[in-house]
Amino acid sequence: MATDLRLQVVSDPRILGVIRGVVRGWMDAYDLCADRRHEIVLAVDEACSNAIRHAYKGRCDQSVELVLSASEDWLEITVSDQGVPCPPECIDRRPLVPPTQNDLQPGGLGLKLIHEIFDEVRFCPGEERGNCVTMRLRRNSKHEDGSED
Amino acid sequence: MAVKIDTMLTEDETLITVEGDVDLYSSPELRKTLLRAVPKSKDGVVVVLANVSYMDSSGVATLVEGLRSAKEHGKRFALLTPSVAVMKVLELARLDSVFDVRSD
Repeated sequence: MATDLRLQVVSDPRILGVIRGVVRGWMDAYDLCADRRHEIVLAVDEACSNAIRHAYKGRCDQSVELVLSASEDWLEITVSDQGVPCPPECIDRRPLVPPTQNDLQPGGLGLKLIHEIFDEVRFCPGEERGNCVTMRLRRNSKHEDGSED
Repeated sequence: MAVKIDTMLTEDETLITVEGDVDLYSSPELRKTLLRAVPKSKDGVVVVLANVSYMDSSGVATLVEGLRSAKEHGKRFALLTPSVAVMKVLELARLDSVFDVRSD
């Protein structure tokens, strides 16, 4: 796995648009179809939003680090913070099911979307502080343009 | 791209037009607008999403809050011409069938 880009950003929601632009630009090198590109941008945005909102409790002066890497078979994105570790019960790996009209919950979607989008996801909350989420996408013909056959 | 939110009152429904990126930074503004508009509207709120270039789960959660508030107040809540970006995140969240989605 070779690191293409290492990015340190401030934990301010205003920076999310910049992060999305950087991730979109990085993916230009990997010929992913538009749908997959959009999904990956969304998942990275969700991971960074979680760091800002939950780990740093909205504090805007902390630091979030992104590492974007690739190998022949995988694209890998790691998002880490030094905030409050995510409680294990929040790392919900259950698949998304359509809620009923009476069962609508506005929160808790971010992590589920990350699981839905990536092939492999690993959450590593620190014992005392910090979180690291590693998201991996298999580079195969299903996801890349022009190589369906 | 920053978000732009416009509110227009019609005879029966309140039209709220959203343009740009709806994310953790901009969704609180949309939330405030929706939750203020729902109880004041005559029959309900229609959110026009044709020009939303990006929406994340905080935007989806905001729409869910709008829908829940509308139910509590006995009003309608519909999404009009949602963009590809909006439909994509609603589908991923398995919420596309929960909303009243209007094509025009």
